[in-house]
Amino acid sequence: MRRIEALEVLAELCGRHPVVVTCAATSRELAAVRDGDNHFYLLDAMGLVGSVATGLALGLDPDRPKVVGIEGDGSLLMNPNVLPTGGYLAPANLLLVLLDNGVYGSTGALPTYSSRVDVEALAAAAGWTTRSTDTADGLRTAFADLLDVDEPAFLHVRIEPGNAPDVAKLLLDPVSLRDRFARWLREDHLAAGRNS
Amino acid sequence: MTYAKAVADGIWAANAAKVGYIPSVTVAPIIKALVASDGGSDGVSPRVTPLSREEEAIGVLGAFALTGALGAVVMQDNGFGNALTALTTFPLSYHLPLLIFANARGGLGEYNSMIHSISQPVPAVLRAFGVPVVELDRRNDVDDWRDTVREAGVHAVMTYRPVVVLGSFWNTDGMVA
Ligand SMILES: [Mg+2]
Repeated sequence: MRRIEALEVLAELCGRHPVVVTCAATSRELAAVRDGDNHFYLLDAMGLVGSVATGLALGLDPDRPKVVGIEGDGSLLMNPNVLPTGGYLAPANLLLVLLDNGVYGSTGALPTYSSRVDVEALAAAAGWTTRSTDTADGLRTAFADLLDVDEPAFLHVRIEPGNAPDVAKLLLDPVSLRDRFARWLREDHLAAGRNS
Repeated sequence: MTYAKAVADGIWAANAAKVGYIPSVTVAPIIKALVASDGGSDGVSPRVTPLSREEEAIGVLGAFALTGALGAVVMQDNGFGNALTALTTFPLSYHLPLLIFANARGGLGEYNSMIHSISQPVPAVLRAFGVPVVELDRRNDVDDWRDTVREAGVHAVMTYRPVVVLGSFWNTDGMVA
């Protein structure tokens, strides 16, 4: 499965979820597949997706759809603290999806540790409920399973290296991203909770 | 009132929804005061939590602003080296309010022979990045510490950005290190 194929599945699954997305090719490809006010793109700050998603999960109503973080292997390994911190704070409404292609895909495809280090086992050791897959159908099934668990959930998705060709750079003002995402949280995500 | 209690009171008076801290011997009394006033014990309460590193504190607490709430970070100033990329590319770039209180090291009363290398330039470094910095020390009384911390949080919300309060505990009732 290529990254953009995994993102096509995730875009379809995440319509009701706040989504925090890692920088560069992943954000760019997700925005090309489907953009949405519920997508919060981190345009830089490698490694911060898990931290931001954890903070959001702690700050939002736990009964509303889970916060989904979409992270890469290189980025997670730049800030692996995300795993023990998420396991320790244990928000039940947090689902971290790791798109693992074994390389820093946006920076010359240099290798990450993930060919030799079992990141899913690291997450499990830190207290996350984990699943893994390398297919689109497996991704759908595992995502659905993990929506039902009452602790932080980690979905390890093995993908092929390589970026989708001819995808436009994401040249958005971060303040406009903040505005639309915060408005979506306020008027859609949280308001729906109050009305239900 | 102690200086540490003044910081804790100022953080709550700023209406912080959540506080994350990275420990130091100097901030420990602040954390004790925060936790005691929030119904917790042993460094943890409903609204107060330890974190393991400064950049993740910026990510976790900065995210609260997206929900319309204010997050606060309590740390030591030598951790700004770890925090800078997260601080500049997340709350500063996305215009997210965040209150940061850090105890100042490397100045008067310091025993450590190298910590000034990171701590003394911190105010200038933060200002170079466009992060507002307010400095407190022995010349400010406890009420001023409390009011300044509170107003720094209000200022962060008003101006949509992180605001840092640096407190030097030398010659106060607190510890430098
Ligand atoms: Mg990768």
